[in-house]
Amino acid sequence: MRSYLIDSENNEFIIDLTKTIKHSSELVEFEFSSIQESQNIDSKRVFIRKLAGNYYCSFDNVAWRKLARQHVPSKVLNVDKVYNLYRGFKPSGLSSGASGDLLTQMPGKVVKLNIKVGDEVAAGDVVLILEAMKMENEIKTSVSGTVKAIHVEEGQALDSGVLMIEIE
Amino acid sequence: MNIRIKDSAPKRIMIVNRGEIASRVAKACRELGHTAIGLWTDNEPNAAHLEFCDEWVHLEGASNAETYLNIEKILEIAKEFKVDGVHPGYGFLSENGSFAKRLTDEGITFIGPHPEAIRVMGDKATSKALARDAGVPVVPGTAEAVPTVEEALKVANEIGYPILLKAVAGGGGRGMRACLNDQDVKNNFDAVVRESSAAFGNGDLLVEKLIVNPHHIEVQIMADKNGNVFHFFERECSIQRRHQKIVEEAPSPFIGDDEELRKNICETAVKLAKAVDYDSAGTVEFIMGEDKNFYFLEMNTRIQVEHPITEEITGVDLIICMIQSAFGEDLQIPSQEWIRKTGHAIECRICAEDPITMLPAPGSVTGFETNFPQGVRFDHCLYRGLNVTPDFDPMVGKLVSKGLVRDVAVRKMRAALDGVYIEGLKNNIPLHKVIMDDPVFKEGQYTTNFIKEVAPQDKISTDMDLDSIYLKLAAAEARNMGM
Repeated sequence: MRSYLIDSENNEFIIDLTKTIKHSSELVEFEFSSIQESQNIDSKRVFIRKLAGNYYCSFDNVAWRKLARQHVPSKVLNVDKVYNLYRGFKPSGLSSGASGDLLTQMPGKVVKLNIKVGDEVAAGDVVLILEAMKMENEIKTSVSGTVKAIHVEEGQALDSGVLMIEIE
Repeated sequence: MNIRIKDSAPKRIMIVNRGEIASRVAKACRELGHTAIGLWTDNEPNAAHLEFCDEWVHLEGASNAETYLNIEKILEIAKEFKVDGVHPGYGFLSENGSFAKRLTDEGITFIGPHPEAIRVMGDKATSKALARDAGVPVVPGTAEAVPTVEEALKVANEIGYPILLKAVAGGGGRGMRACLNDQDVKNNFDAVVRESSAAFGNGDLLVEKLIVNPHHIEVQIMADKNGNVFHFFERECSIQRRHQKIVEEAPSPFIGDDEELRKNICETAVKLAKAVDYDSAGTVEFIMGEDKNFYFLEMNTRIQVEHPITEEITGVDLIICMIQSAFGEDLQIPSQEWIRKTGHAIECRICAEDPITMLPAPGSVTGFETNFPQGVRFDHCLYRGLNVTPDFDPMVGKLVSKGLVRDVAVRKMRAALDGVYIEGLKNNIPLHKVIMDDPVFKEGQYTTNFIKEVAPQDKISTDMDLDSIYLKLAAAEARNMGM
């Protein structure tokens, strides 16, 4: 699964979970990779062990330290920056650049299309709703203009990175 | 000598405060067998301090003016719940003489000094005048407000530059400006008048000598209603940002083993407390120059945030003494000689703020855990789910370490800071770590200019710590897998 870390200034970090091995009910191993410009820049194995109700973590299955217990974190702190954490998808409206092309950020199913070809849209308008991770995500356009083409239809299942809508 | 103590009759004590100090007072009430009555407000229904309170009362309203500063409503509740005493903690109504007076008039004990002491010490001009009369050294300057810039220039030239223009009603570092020459005074006078009129509703200014390379050193006082005044040695609180303390230690590393100086400053504080017939916990603050001359700054007529370090080196529970004193009971301190200090204690104030800019950063705690070395004290109001709102002070906890010698206390603090895990909420732990590692701090020869001159905040690395992100994600995945 891919995670996106985005702070208030739209700085972005992408981390992929590339491997999961369940050694026992008390010990699991993960492999994470950091992605920058589609390149894998860093990889690391992480072991998680549950001990006396707490989670402990290790990079080598030898040296362990305690982890703060938390629910699936919605925010991640790094010294002076708090990043919003999106697991599995990147929310709409945060994509940088002013391109009118809307691509899927994650696999999902088109629930609703709000526009048709030739419609005028303004930046921030919800153009389509995509269901993923059992959550409906509003996909907004970041540019104003005219809808030039729609490449998807309601009910269609999409992979990640598919071009859905073009706006001019 | 075998001294036996007498239990006091159970009382009902209402705590008009929140956060860690409310917990701290509630614990003391429990130990003494009193009933602790805690308050909670509309914007803080999950108030963690209620954990140690025996009775919980809803103080309706959200803003501080409607709640913790609302004298009428608090009096009403105090009467309704048949309260014997009120502990104000620090901040809010703790130094409000008329609140203390109103309670006393209703036959309710204010757990703090008598209202007159609050009044006299609450005003910079009257407290200084009293100190002068009592033979306590004060910073050279005017006793009365200087009405004009001409007058200010005259005084400045009499006492010699550098000088400080300071609001009579100021506090917390606001409403003061340093001036190095006549031109500075001319440039700043009107601005400080405007600033203090706006902030405190009083534009009166004082002129006083600016102490170079100063140390902020304060003496803890405890007095009973029979005229006994004890001191609990000094604390050094020179590490400050925006004139607010962030790291404190006891005893002062600047005084070091100069026992004569220590005795002198502590006895001076006792002398001042006696001059106002002081009868509770209080702190006499001094400014000490590089020549080790010290001058009275102000007296805080309440328990202070940093009281735990004094408790750690003396072994005395100051909140309990405060409650006993308020009800006219014996402090169970046979004489000053019984109060001895051992070792060294350090406190780091953990605040919800940006560690580099040191500006408050409200937010939510998504995870919280501690994993401390032996013997660390953490007075805090943190929990997973805590929402730090902009309504209150950003301080969320006080981390206290102790060692027989200072280096051990510093080492323990450094390890303790590594053992506090606060997720989702910006906090100043990264700053404290750099301070504990700083050579100037380790030498103990820092002044109140430490944050400005040594600038530990500039040494904080802000590089993305991918490793720790992996760990957090891994924990979330493990949880999702049902582990």
